[in-house]
Amino acid sequence: MSNGTATRVAARNGALLPGASTRVPVAVVLAALLFGLGAFAPVHLASEFVLRIASGGLLLGMLALSVAFLMCQAGLVALGAASVYGGVGYLFAIAMSEWDLSPTSALLFAFVTVVLYSVALGALIVRTNPLAFMMLTLAAGEMINHGVMLEALRDYTSGADGLVVNFKGAILGMTAADLANATQFWPIAWSAAWLLGLAAYAVRRSRFGAILRAIRDNEERMRFSGFDTYLPRLVAFVFVNAIAAICGLLHVLNSGFVSPESLGLGVSTNALVAALIGGVAGSTGPIAGGVLFAFAQDQFGARGFTQLLTGVAMVVFIVALPRGVVGSLVEAARRNLLPKRGAR
Amino acid sequence: MSGDKGGGSAHDAAMRFQGSSQVVRPPCLWTTSVIAPLIANSLALASLLIMLSSGLALIYGLRDVINFGHGALYMLGAYLGYSIALVGGFWVALFFAPLLLALLGVVFEYGVLRPLRGRSHIEVALVTLGLGIILGQALIFIYGGEARGVDAPAALAGSVSLYNLSYPVYRIFLIAMGLGSCTALALWLRFSTSGLYVRAVSQDPSVARMMGVNSDRLSLLVTSLSAAFAGVAGVLAGPYLSVDPGMDVTMIVDCLIIVVIGGTGSIAGSIVAALLFGFVQVAGSVFLPDLAALAPYVLLFVVLLIAPRGIGRGRAPA
Repeated sequence: MSNGTATRVAARNGALLPGASTRVPVAVVLAALLFGLGAFAPVHLASEFVLRIASGGLLLGMLALSVAFLMCQAGLVALGAASVYGGVGYLFAIAMSEWDLSPTSALLFAFVTVVLYSVALGALIVRTNPLAFMMLTLAAGEMINHGVMLEALRDYTSGADGLVVNFKGAILGMTAADLANATQFWPIAWSAAWLLGLAAYAVRRSRFGAILRAIRDNEERMRFSGFDTYLPRLVAFVFVNAIAAICGLLHVLNSGFVSPESLGLGVSTNALVAALIGGVAGSTGPIAGGVLFAFAQDQFGARGFTQLLTGVAMVVFIVALPRGVVGSLVEAARRNLLPKRGAR
Repeated sequence: MSGDKGGGSAHDAAMRFQGSSQVVRPPCLWTTSVIAPLIANSLALASLLIMLSSGLALIYGLRDVINFGHGALYMLGAYLGYSIALVGGFWVALFFAPLLLALLGVVFEYGVLRPLRGRSHIEVALVTLGLGIILGQALIFIYGGEARGVDAPAALAGSVSLYNLSYPVYRIFLIAMGLGSCTALALWLRFSTSGLYVRAVSQDPSVARMMGVNSDRLSLLVTSLSAAFAGVAGVLAGPYLSVDPGMDVTMIVDCLIIVVIGGTGSIAGSIVAALLFGFVQVAGSVFLPDLAALAPYVLLFVVLLIAPRGIGRGRAPA
């Protein structure tokens, strides 16, 4: 952004300030209404089957959010989101069954371990170029996948069979049965999607977000201007992995089962495609993309075409609709509803 | 590409060596009877990997794009080889499958790489990933989910004895093909005009274009060449590994590791990395069979720790 644009933006913001001060509470009230409505209305209106698909979609959407955030803000595409998503579930299960941790401490243990893993992995790979980063995340994901299938770890991971996760006691007042119940799980998934979406929004709007985008656009310039270009990317990598880990924990709590499929490349590409369907730029896009993907998968998945359609969607959305569904709608709305701002 | 994994077919092949050959003794015996087959087996595996990863490096050099669909091309080569071999035999397959793949490479160049020239390299890479998934799934749809076996041709079946060690002839043929294609590639790059142009564009695309090198025409040549190499590797893999769904994912992951180790875009680097990779994988399955599946990743991260840009002199993307 050139200096002239910056002044113009500042001037415009200044001019709009009196209006903005009344507009912001309206937006907040609307959002709160939408949040409340979304948390409770579907529970009464939708069938359990639809709720189950929708919460699955929200989980995929949150994973897509982690992929999209890194893609849009740092210009890095991660193809290994599933290894964190599934890996955290394995750790949670193993911590309870093998080391007798309570569910809450197992949850914390799994989360912290995965975050530490992503710090170590990120430290190695974020300094490479974006293409190498893409290849390396794919390789690291496959490494975790192979690791879980290792014969030597069969006692812990039970190989291709997967693990049943049936915890005793309660986490934040919810038992395993409560969490497996679609109507009780929906408000949790809905709130988590909002929280993570808002967190991503806050980070995007912060100074840190601006630095990340500047590094994405021209790393050399940022280095030359005296910025550290390594640490921000590492922090971003850890941040998105923390999102993926939360998402994976919600998944294992809900499904009560963790299998090698949840670690596989299939889940990573699904998340990527969900992000592309919704649009990678905001928080709403990827989450909505996840829900769209889940319902599309329900339509076509039974015939065994899910993977094929994943590939087709990936190509079509990148080539023809790079902003995704939500991004294109926002763009169209902006063009049609705010003609004056565009003309200025 | 399919999501399911059969545990790594390259790794299986390395494991198969333990069953098929009588020379494996406890690992403490560092004798020629352990070392010679070990080196031969890693060369055989490396031969396939060289053909694939040098193709990847070639396309990267010209277009700054890593073709994530390369594994699917290899898989297509293997299935085409399987089908053609059923009708016309192995040698016919070895001739026609790469030819068909080269044509597909032309389609890929005109249909994907050229129209998307203006887009970011990451986006093009994602498109190739998507196309690879489509191709892999289409093959599974046509051929079904079970693994197919291909027999080695009669001339290459059986084993030879060298210094009272017996070794399968087919693997010797594989090594010869690998080294042969490697040498041919090196000679072409070193001594022909088009090879000179390819090297020039790989080193500095804008300067090479300024000097009048037509990089589009070169890219057409290189893309079809690398697809043909993928076809050769696919047909050759038939009798050595098995032809199965999931071979594309295993192979592309291995090749990407090699390309990163070799220094993205460096052909010499990727050849050295493929040799190293083959050795680590085979040695791992002999000495540490329990952990062999992780050996390549250990190699990858050790190399990255020491030399983040890989061992070769790759070029950073423009």
